[in-house]
Amino acid sequence: MPIIFRDVSFSYNVKSPLEHLALSHLNFEIPTGSFLAIVGRTGCGKSTMVQQINALLHPTQGEVDVDGFINSSDRKKRTKNVKDLRRRVGLVFQFPEYQLFEETVLKDVAFGPKNFGMKKEEAEQAAKEALAKVGLDESFYERSPFELSGGEKRRVAIAGVLAYHPDYLIVDEPTAGLDPKGAFEMMDLFASIHQAGTTLILVTHDMNLVLRYCDRVLVFDHGELVANDTPQSFFQSDMDRYSLETPALYRFLQEMKAKGLDIDSSSIEDLDTLADAIVKARASK
Amino acid sequence: MKAFTLGRYVPYNSWIHRLDPRLKILATILLMVCVFFNFPTWSMRYLMGGLLFAVISILVACTKISFRDVIGSLRHLWFMVIFLLIIYVLVPNGNHTLPEAWNLNGWVVYWDSFAEAGRILLRLVMMIELTLVLTASTKPLDLTYALEWYLTPLKVFHFPAAEVAMIISIALRFIPTLLEDTQRVMKAQSSRGVDFEHGSLWKRLMGVTSLVIPLFVSSFVRSEELANAMECRGYDPQAKRTRYHVLHFHWLDLLALVLSSALLAGYITVSVMNLDFFAMLGWAAL
Repeated sequence: MPIIFRDVSFSYNVKSPLEHLALSHLNFEIPTGSFLAIVGRTGCGKSTMVQQINALLHPTQGEVDVDGFINSSDRKKRTKNVKDLRRRVGLVFQFPEYQLFEETVLKDVAFGPKNFGMKKEEAEQAAKEALAKVGLDESFYERSPFELSGGEKRRVAIAGVLAYHPDYLIVDEPTAGLDPKGAFEMMDLFASIHQAGTTLILVTHDMNLVLRYCDRVLVFDHGELVANDTPQSFFQSDMDRYSLETPALYRFLQEMKAKGLDIDSSSIEDLDTLADAIVKARASK
Repeated sequence: MKAFTLGRYVPYNSWIHRLDPRLKILATILLMVCVFFNFPTWSMRYLMGGLLFAVISILVACTKISFRDVIGSLRHLWFMVIFLLIIYVLVPNGNHTLPEAWNLNGWVVYWDSFAEAGRILLRLVMMIELTLVLTASTKPLDLTYALEWYLTPLKVFHFPAAEVAMIISIALRFIPTLLEDTQRVMKAQSSRGVDFEHGSLWKRLMGVTSLVIPLFVSSFVRSEELANAMECRGYDPQAKRTRYHVLHFHWLDLLALVLSSALLAGYITVSVMNLDFFAMLGWAAL
């Protein structure tokens, strides 16, 4: 079942001079099995939006429906059992390495599953599997999470969410502060999780990653949803006004067009299709 | 997180907000002194207390603190009230002036007990409202500047006034950051299934640990980063400092100073001279 936003608005500091409308009248659906990107300039409401899915914030108007779990502005309509919802929707925050606290890596990763009711042995088994997924081997199990490098800490934190097998995984800027190689490794990890059947929601500023990995993109601007499109068609539309960077592929395409090469851009999705289109364009010349 | 809203700066632009912070601290102290004067009779005590309460309430209204916030900050006083009443009713009252409230087989309780409890409650409310006015209308940084100004004379005794002010302002500056961190970690741990409100004591204790340790770690990281950043920009605690916002004393500040001093002078006079307005008017005193 999909995640459905029905006319969701949200304000911070309601009824105070600091009141600030962060989300305004959102209506959209996130289908199961999608790899969705959420983009927009800093402060446009991306992080606020994903917290509505997890019931960490409650809408001030409207409701969010996740598999029948309702997070509504109306207290009476809200589903009481938030824990069940949070087990299904894994949320990896920005710089998740700050949530580590246990003595050993294994204990920290097993913390989530234990909270959601797994027995100690089961939780440890799940933790070991999750650590293997993020590429950390047995030598890490008994180390303290605080002595790891930044990238390793982040992997541990992500494993801590993967360990309880959420149906939906929301990741908030997982590649921030990583080098390009590390960023692609991280994204390949999420792609493999998506392949295994998890619905993925990625909040990011990196349009190249959006083009390469995602099948749908939601664009936010000043708390409003301004586009809900496939990356390929969004990047060829007038996207400059949202102060987003055009992916390298499409910048190249634009320059080729400016130089006078008549390329049919509708079929271009990645490097291979771009090459094909160029060959075709040159052949017809 | 609601509890932290008490004493928060509220960005309005009332005349109280524009007053010099040095003056506001002084005036708050003057008014607080007024709160604690004693008067000869119950009617005088309540009259003078009520007058001061009216003045302070006008100040609260001028600061544009919402009525809800004031009530919210007084919400926890009910426990205090019950406690006070029990104490005053149980402890025998020596020099009573009011009639008996009841006499149960020799256990005599005079109305004085209730009057006394009420007066203490009134004082508490006034003190809370006064601090609320000060903190809601003054930016924490301005408060530190004012504090530094008051500490400056101590420099004669080699008291590090500037450093103390710097420490306080850094501490104040990090309160919102720490609150933000707390909320962020709380959210991260709640989405990992921690329930901070329900569950057994052990579970909740575990939950708190998962909150406190990351907070400690991030505060240490932050303080180290701040220290490095300050040193990179050449911070020298001994250096003579200038500042961007220079505090000026305006006529409005002078007026406020005169008025609050006059109020204090009035209260001193009435109290010291044992004046009883009710007796002067020929009414029976209570």
